[in-house]
Amino acid sequence: MIRVHQLKFRYPNATAPALDGLSLDVPRGSLYGLLGPNGSGKTTLLNLISGVLRAPRLAIKVDGLDLSGHLAAVQSFSALVPQDLAFYARMTVQENLDFFAGVRGYSGADAAARVEEALRMASLGPSRRQIAERCSGGIKRRLNIAIGMLNRPRLLLLDEPTVGIDPQSRRFILQSVKAIHAAGTTVVYTSHYMEEVQDLCDTVGVMDHGRLLAQGDLKKMLSHGHGKAKGPKDLEDLFLQLTEHALRD
Amino acid sequence: MGALLHLIRKEWLLLRRDWHALLLLFLMPTIFILVMSLAMRGLFASHGRVAVTYALLDSDRSPVSAQLSARLAAQPQFRAVDWGGDEAALRARVRAGDAQFLVLIPAGFAKGLLSRRPAAVQLVAAPSVEPTLLMLFNASLREAAAKVYLGVSLKGMAQALGDPSAAGAMDLGAVDALVAAPASEGLGAGSPSAVQQNVPAWLIFAMFFIAIPLSNTWVQERAQGTYGRLLSLGLPRWKLLLGKLLPYLCVNLAQAALMLAVGVWLVPLLGGDALALGSSPGALVLMVLAVSFAAVSFALLIANAVRSSEQATIFTGVSNLLLAVLGGVMVPRFVMPAGLQALGLFSPMTWGLEGFLDVFLRQGGLVQVAPRALLLFAFGSLSLGFAAYLFKRRQRG
Repeated sequence: MIRVHQLKFRYPNATAPALDGLSLDVPRGSLYGLLGPNGSGKTTLLNLISGVLRAPRLAIKVDGLDLSGHLAAVQSFSALVPQDLAFYARMTVQENLDFFAGVRGYSGADAAARVEEALRMASLGPSRRQIAERCSGGIKRRLNIAIGMLNRPRLLLLDEPTVGIDPQSRRFILQSVKAIHAAGTTVVYTSHYMEEVQDLCDTVGVMDHGRLLAQGDLKKMLSHGHGKAKGPKDLEDLFLQLTEHALRD
Repeated sequence: MGALLHLIRKEWLLLRRDWHALLLLFLMPTIFILVMSLAMRGLFASHGRVAVTYALLDSDRSPVSAQLSARLAAQPQFRAVDWGGDEAALRARVRAGDAQFLVLIPAGFAKGLLSRRPAAVQLVAAPSVEPTLLMLFNASLREAAAKVYLGVSLKGMAQALGDPSAAGAMDLGAVDALVAAPASEGLGAGSPSAVQQNVPAWLIFAMFFIAIPLSNTWVQERAQGTYGRLLSLGLPRWKLLLGKLLPYLCVNLAQAALMLAVGVWLVPLLGGDALALGSSPGALVLMVLAVSFAAVSFALLIANAVRSSEQATIFTGVSNLLLAVLGGVMVPRFVMPAGLQALGLFSPMTWGLEGFLDVFLRQGGLVQVAPRALLLFAFGSLSLGFAAYLFKRRQRG
């Protein structure tokens, strides 16, 4: 579904590149866990795939389409759910969904149906008239995901979608992600919660310093290890062996 | 087009719920206009209005000193106050600012009028009186004294010639007819008033202050990732800029309508002069649009240049104050030193203010205001272009 080949990207005035020859493959229909310490380049990669960041030449193909020339087409069937609560705090839950459906180009009965579907999927019906900034952390996270579901994406990019919420909301979101994936959507999921990724994902990629350290079937990697990661106890152990224990501030 | 309408509707929803911004944009300039127009109306008082009060102590009590008192009292812009009391008491009241001037006619004034060493009338000014007002009142007092002197001199000469009726044949009133009554060029019905000066000045200031809510919401949306999300939906940058520009242009238009209504209807209700809108509605609309475009584009430039809401607020506040000071919003440009006046020519607020004054005071039409409007549109276009460039640069990482 996503093929990245030797991708390089550097922010202006940055001393080191954010992505330094990154190559990875996200299989179609997979639930891909993208792991990496802070600053490893995960969010930069998702921002490039979704068009938030632009670069003159992008070695990225999505569903066979070269991103440099077909960004609009890719954006039409994909959705980014950013790590930040990227909606309007002073608007209600419903107003936010109506707005994002509107700017996506949906109108009338189609827009209303998509909004209802998103509300139902994220269990936001009872909160639809609440001003977003007065909602609980869990509702805000669910709204953030619901906005991403308005175009019924074939590719969903979830950037740390469970940060700062209670266990009940986390459990609901994880179940929702599983349901979305089961319906045929390819999901790229970044998180620092290793047990979450281990429970959820079938494939993982581990990044550091803008490069891919390891990638493959999660079960195989855990049973056989990968590269310098020998006989890992669990995903966290695999991650720490690959990225080492030094603090990343 | 649909996405743009949704962006505009979103902005409307957000603004409607932002009471702080609405107070800043609508209440602040209304209060400024009311306070400044009413407080400064004395400085701009026109014919038939009392602007200067004075006390007079006639220690001579002669028909000649009475003539002087009467001539001074005949000036419409001066009002005599009669408190009674001695010189010390009157001096104390003038010192306290109860009146601006005290005129002291000494005993022996009439007797010594034609002598080589006359008893001179003394003028005392309150401490707060501006030098120009002192000069004006002093000139009026000298004029009144000169006419009294001339009248007494003519009478003496006529008596010396043996024809006392000759003095009566001389009409001193004809002296006043030698110079016509002053008229302000351009303004048909009346003279410049405080409201004519203050409404456009504070309107422009308020319109440029739109940068505070606009830049803050822009920075917040960028920081919260909503702009990133909108870009990921395929919305082009120009639509996002236009989605901010158009609603805030409408806010500016609403501000203009409110401020003009305050000048036309509310200020007179509170005792001030009514704002005269000039004779060219087209020129007025052009100036409002030009100032608005310049103000909103400048706000977008600030929003894209700064990194945080704090920076946006500080930069907007400081730059607006500087532009306002240089542009003659707070202090009329003609009282500034030549260097500052020249610097003020580069402030878009100067172009806006002078354009509005062209319409309100100089009866300017579309042709007269077009050059200033063009300057404002050019400034707005440059600001918008630079804002778009900075926005694009940010998306490159």
